Amino acid sequence: QCPHKWKKVYCTLCNSKRHARDRCPNIWRVYLLRDDSSQQQDDNNEKKQKLPIERIYCYNCGVNGHFGDDCPERRSSRVPNEDGSAFSGENLKEDMK
Amino acid sequence: LLTTDYPWIINHDHSKQKEIADWLTMEIRDFVSYISPSKEEIKERNDTIGRIRDAVNHFWNDANLHVFGSYATDLYLPGSDIDCVIISEKGDKDSRSSLYALANFLKKRGLATDIEVIAKARVPIIKFIDPRSKIHIDVSFERINGLEAAKLIREWLNDTPGLREITLIVKQFLHARRLNNVHTGGLGGFSIICLVFSFLQMHPRIISNEIDPMENLGVLLVEFFELYGKNFGYDDIAITTANGYPIYLPKSDWKGLQQLRSSFSLAIQDPGDATNNISRGSFNLRDIKKAFAGAFDLLTNRCFELDTASFKERIGKSVLGNVIKYRGKQR
Repeated sequence: QCPHKWKKVYCTLCNSKRHARDRCPNIWRVYLLRDDSSQQQDDNNEKKQKLPIERIYCYNCGVNGHFGDDCPERRSSRVPNEDGSAFSGENLKEDMK
Repeated sequence: LLTTDYPWIINHDHSKQKEIADWLTMEIRDFVSYISPSKEEIKERNDTIGRIRDAVNHFWNDANLHVFGSYATDLYLPGSDIDCVIISEKGDKDSRSSLYALANFLKKRGLATDIEVIAKARVPIIKFIDPRSKIHIDVSFERINGLEAAKLIREWLNDTPGLREITLIVKQFLHARRLNNVHTGGLGGFSIICLVFSFLQMHPRIISNEIDPMENLGVLLVEFFELYGKNFGYDDIAITTANGYPIYLPKSDWKGLQQLRSSFSLAIQDPGDATNNISRGSFNLRDIKKAFAGAFDLLTNRCFELDTASFKERIGKSVLGNVIKYRGKQR
């Protein structure tokens, strides 16, 4: 049994229970998005379907079609991935998910 | 006089950036321009190669000297050596006697000191130091694969913004930890480039064209260390660029992949020879992966620390400094 008292951890930035607010990945995982508002109108529809599925590969099983964080197979790396990484379907624009 | 362990931050303070990721991006650019060679250094390197090329042409009039490796791709750190290859019409310059003959000729001409002829290796070479510039030179013979690789890497650099910057940072990082030497199981230059190329060309935000990598070098560097330090399935996955862009391949699907001493090993398919694993020499993968994971922890902890610090406390600080440990001469 763990002798230490259970400490509740909660992040007020992303609602995760795995880390506290001062260690939230959102502090560093910040992207400066392309400023293509001028282009957007012209090729909005075209851009939506542009996600090239042929370039999505899994870092865990090597198969095409999903990112490593979303892999159904047993995890190959022995280092845990608690908070998720860049290679996740979650890390995409809403309309591409 | 202001002295610092991190000379690239002098006159380049970004502590007022709202996002730490942007601060890190700017610091990466500052470091890259700090270690990039000056006009004088470029001229010195070109002159050195020019002198050796003239001598080789004089000694063998059917042969030519070509450069490859980091010098040919503009991915070298200060003080790194220059890789050259001699290619002749008859293709007969790789004999042991011609290696020694050329070495003696260069010595007599005063173009080489500290000469070593390594004739018995898988790839026979002459190593020497150019006495005028003190640059270390490696010369190999009659092999075009290095030249083809350099040409391919130059194409990748053209098509992949951020590849040069992240590669230089990772190279410097591994260099500071002595993990960049293939002879001791570290990662070679070509393998490093392949890892960065594959990371960038498969990143969700990049394939969806949401971000310009040059504006996001900071977060991308952290995520590079995250992928290869924490998540990549080294036991099961190989990297290949056979189709022009990088993809993963289950190791079990790679016909001709030589068995390695452990399944925990890096496998990168040679773009020029599908049976060759260019990272087969990097047997110290355990330390390499640990170092990448450590870099991820160092960088993210630094971001958390600076995020809570006041603007006054941040002035003159470096995000990158402890990670890359640049211990070169002041430039």
